[in-house]
Amino acid sequence: MTNYKIQDIEKSFDGKIIENLGNNDYVIKINDAEHKLKIITMNSNGIEFILNQQYHKAKYLEQSTNEMNIVIDNVPMTLNLHTHFDKIVYKNSGGGGSGTTQKALKSQIPGKVVSISVGHGDSVKKGDVVCTLESMKMQVAVKAHKDGVIRNIKAKETGTVAKGDIIADIE
Amino acid sequence: MIEKVLIANRGEIALRVIRTCKALGIKTVAVYSDEDTNSMHVKQATEAYHIGEATPAKSYLNQEKILDVMLSSGADSVHPGYGFLSENDDFASLCEKNKITFIGPSADSMNLCGDKMKCKAAMLKADVPTVPGSPGLVKDADDAEKIANDIGYPVMLKSVYGGGGRGIRIVTNDKELRDGYESVTGESIAAVGKSAILVEKFLEKTRHIEYQFARDTQGNAVHIFERECSIQRRNQKLIEQTPSPIVDEETRARVGELVVNAAHAVDYTNLGTAEFLRADNGEFYFIEINARLQVEHPITEFVSGLDLVKLQLDIANGEPIPFKQSDLKMNGYAIECRINAEDTFMDFAPSTGPVPDVTIPAGPSVRCDTYLYPGCTVSPYYDSLMAKLVTWGQTFEESRTRMLSALNDFYIQGVETSIPLYKTILNSDEYKNGDLSTDFLKRYDMINRLTADLKTEKENKTDAALAAAIIHSEYFKSRIQNTTTHNSHWKDKLD
Amino acid sequence: MHSEKIDEYTKNSNTALQGGGQDRITSQHEKGKLTARERIDLLLDEGTFVEIDPLTTHHYHEYNMQKKKFFTDGVVGGYGNVSGRQIFVFAYDFTVLGGTLSQMGAKKITKLMDHALKTGCPIIGVMDSGGARIQEGIMSLDGFADIFYHNQLASGVIPQITASVGPSAGGSVYSPAMTDFVIMVEKVGSMFVTGPDVVKTVLGEEISFEELGGANTHGSKSGVAHFVAENEYECMDYIKKLISFLPQNNTEQPPKLTTDDDPNRLDHNLINIMPENPLQPYDMKEIINSIVDDHDFFEVHELFAPNIVVGYARLNGTVVGIVANQPMHLAGALDIDSSNKASRFIRFCDSFNVPIITLVDTPGYMPGSNQEHNGIIRHGSKLLYAYCEATVPRITLVIGKAYGGAYIAMGSKNLRTDVNYAWPTAKCAVLGGEAAVKIMNRKELAASDDPESLKKELIEEFAQKFENPYVAASHGTVDNVIDPAETRPMLIKALEMLANKREKQLPRKHGNINL
Repeated sequence: MTNYKIQDIEKSFDGKIIENLGNNDYVIKINDAEHKLKIITMNSNGIEFILNQQYHKAKYLEQSTNEMNIVIDNVPMTLNLHTHFDKIVYKNSGGGGSGTTQKALKSQIPGKVVSISVGHGDSVKKGDVVCTLESMKMQVAVKAHKDGVIRNIKAKETGTVAKGDIIADIE
Repeated sequence: MIEKVLIANRGEIALRVIRTCKALGIKTVAVYSDEDTNSMHVKQATEAYHIGEATPAKSYLNQEKILDVMLSSGADSVHPGYGFLSENDDFASLCEKNKITFIGPSADSMNLCGDKMKCKAAMLKADVPTVPGSPGLVKDADDAEKIANDIGYPVMLKSVYGGGGRGIRIVTNDKELRDGYESVTGESIAAVGKSAILVEKFLEKTRHIEYQFARDTQGNAVHIFERECSIQRRNQKLIEQTPSPIVDEETRARVGELVVNAAHAVDYTNLGTAEFLRADNGEFYFIEINARLQVEHPITEFVSGLDLVKLQLDIANGEPIPFKQSDLKMNGYAIECRINAEDTFMDFAPSTGPVPDVTIPAGPSVRCDTYLYPGCTVSPYYDSLMAKLVTWGQTFEESRTRMLSALNDFYIQGVETSIPLYKTILNSDEYKNGDLSTDFLKRYDMINRLTADLKTEKENKTDAALAAAIIHSEYFKSRIQNTTTHNSHWKDKLD
Repeated sequence: MHSEKIDEYTKNSNTALQGGGQDRITSQHEKGKLTARERIDLLLDEGTFVEIDPLTTHHYHEYNMQKKKFFTDGVVGGYGNVSGRQIFVFAYDFTVLGGTLSQMGAKKITKLMDHALKTGCPIIGVMDSGGARIQEGIMSLDGFADIFYHNQLASGVIPQITASVGPSAGGSVYSPAMTDFVIMVEKVGSMFVTGPDVVKTVLGEEISFEELGGANTHGSKSGVAHFVAENEYECMDYIKKLISFLPQNNTEQPPKLTTDDDPNRLDHNLINIMPENPLQPYDMKEIINSIVDDHDFFEVHELFAPNIVVGYARLNGTVVGIVANQPMHLAGALDIDSSNKASRFIRFCDSFNVPIITLVDTPGYMPGSNQEHNGIIRHGSKLLYAYCEATVPRITLVIGKAYGGAYIAMGSKNLRTDVNYAWPTAKCAVLGGEAAVKIMNRKELAASDDPESLKKELIEEFAQKFENPYVAASHGTVDNVIDPAETRPMLIKALEMLANKREKQLPRKHGNINL
């Protein structure tokens, strides 16, 4: 049984495939309930299936050991696995889902770097402007996600950043 | 007679203009930057010319390049769309000089409307009421601060040449004013190449109501009803609708007459929009004339039955407006939702990138103007507007539910969109009751309601999501072309 | 029936699951470390783990060891599936006598390695050990030797991967070093031959665990670690991703995945990534990301010798190993560390049927006494050797500078590379213009009244004549000059052509690569 926790929903669920009946028919179990599942199509776009007479479409996005990202019927959802290990695993890295304790300040949007407002070694408080990006004719400020000292400025003025790129570390 | 139109724009509006031209048998010339090589408007036009690099300054704002294309393609007219060069009087003059019909007002008229100060003066002369503010351009931040203190905070810093909500900041004290002054200047220069700042009183709980109007070369002017565009964020419209729930027949006619007077006052030709702020006490204050076709024109088309781009072409051809004010009757209700590539939860930060899959809603009285197609890309160089979803109904309720259904059918993969937010807004009691204002989002705590709605939506999808997760291993197996689970080679190897 | 026996069996099984006992498990968790079983759980597909030797114990009586007997004796191992593929895994159990290795532990590990060899499956080791079990004396050391012997037996036969999620000191570090890939977790994994205490005693040098042999140290300075993971989840992600590119064993082709990425996709922006000014650096990874399937480039050894980039990717579903100079660091020059990094990567690809794609933009070898005295001659020769030795399909694309020895070393034609392409911006020459003119035209420059402008002229001339790919193309040492926009389709076509390549080296025990 794999344990799943859906982000934003407080419950956790156990799930597994009980039986593969062949011909793309399966019986799966979610907590104590059994469900019939029939896969209709499987291709690089994702899968279409019928779960208990209802049609669904799912697309699989990034997967990792403890996180599954899917889009189910156009609703993006994130499922976490092995959540009972989180406290132990994040003890030394102080990271994971909640970005506030990570040291890397990541850009939430893609854009061109217009200006960098801090220098290596500067002290910043949460909310201070670290750099300014331009995207879609708008200027957006990237703010420090926590108090600390700026290190390893990776963004360059007049350079570009992609969504998720590290702007700098705040230690 | 116009026979070949060059559309100096991109995205959904370029497509919109191309469609009407095609229907009328008029040839079209599209221009595109490096970024737009695979865009829909390039594929739909009769001819397409490459004009430069992705940055607007090097392509869509490059007047010399565009003029080059106009001359070499033999286009006899140009439609500027909205944004870019649509309210650039230098460009309009350039076209006039080269005997190319600019589908819009004259350069002089545009100049007058674009200069908020001059326009304000013209309105006062025509007895059209305006918003209290600085008598002219502010010289610098100090000047701005003085005026702000004179009129009283809160005030709006407005770039004279700004459009589409950019170059505007609301500030409540001196420090904010200083910070805001800098950003507004920067944004204005980035968008249209120049900057000049005004200070205006910021009125609370206002409703943004604008009138579509048209005036031909013979001096005939009509208004084509109002549009309410109160639901905004960062002074950019999100949802527009017509008729406005707060405007009755009498008000419509009264303000409509003011609009016609305004059009005469600035000697306007072709289509334009007069924007007003309606204060809580019912007073209407003129803000500005947008000397171009607006993004939200489709809702007017739905309730009037007109093709406004066709009307533009007719007027540009020198023909008189083919109907009188008394011929125009409003039919039904229309709503438009601007589908933007933005992350609602990241303060509407832009979301860009490839769009591998998109499902565009359709059906009776459902219209979607968009440049999206499966496999296209949303570019970081341009506006975040991806699509305009417009619905019509006999009653307001009908248009509202039709919009909700269309929003549910609209799927855009790869970028964050404002679709979930619109569903929350359209489902709210306040929207149903027509209780609109320009601070709608904040006043009624829409973002938090959206979060709650998304949670409910997720809760409804729990079983399906889990099923998809559970069955993932089967899916993964199906993608491997050569299986490595049976090591047949290993067993057979003899040396 | 037999209820007593059943009870005894149940009791033993459950005890085995407890490792060193709940207290030790709690202590392990408090350090922010998972237990051996939990790690195996994270790594393997749900429900596929079959444990081998859970009931082994040590048989020692010295030092009262008989009182400290635990099932599994400090190593948990068995087999299971990772993304549907069978692999063997062993994990040191820190809760049992500090994860120290005993004779029985070594026996178990080598048993698993034997199974892996017999069935042709990858083997993964999870290191979290206090080292040799002192109480067992020499026998513990012999146990290590046994493991090392098996590492060698398996080297180049089945992929061997090590995860460092705890200490690993003294002799035990040599097993990971002999495996193909090492993933270390920051602040959790550490490896060193002599620990900080002894270092302090003998040399008086004060240094922390993390600095001496932590993940970042080995990731960037020594090159012992190929991947540095932020936490144990990421560590498992790295392992799974790595395995997805590798075959089960050396008789198999790497797994081919279906992809939607058009094999004929052109990219007109590729040529813009390279600046006009040859002295201006750019990021080679931008080019790599564009040409591979789904922009998915899995970089290996990212932090070590950044002047060369190596990693895995797919082209139209086929796995390839990419070796490319990185102009952003040291201008892409070759040196000792980059030669070592690339050579080992190439030899692994060759062992496991992974075609190699080389992208070249290098000004040559780093000069200086540091490089010379530390043996750039020896280390540089490894790269040449590795390329020549590799019989997997090899394709080289010269996109920028390729001067002198570095031109030869980076997969040039006469190292028997199968397909060589060049961009119009390629410059294949013995030396760069500046240096060449200084040597070849020394006399003219000395005799001239205006040596500066003459030099400029001569450099221009040299550039026209030699700093382009056409001389090479005219000799067929480059198969063709290609349009940069077509890089992806051209590489894919070459790969398809070479899919059934068969080439053999002369039989010998093994060559004598200069180590």
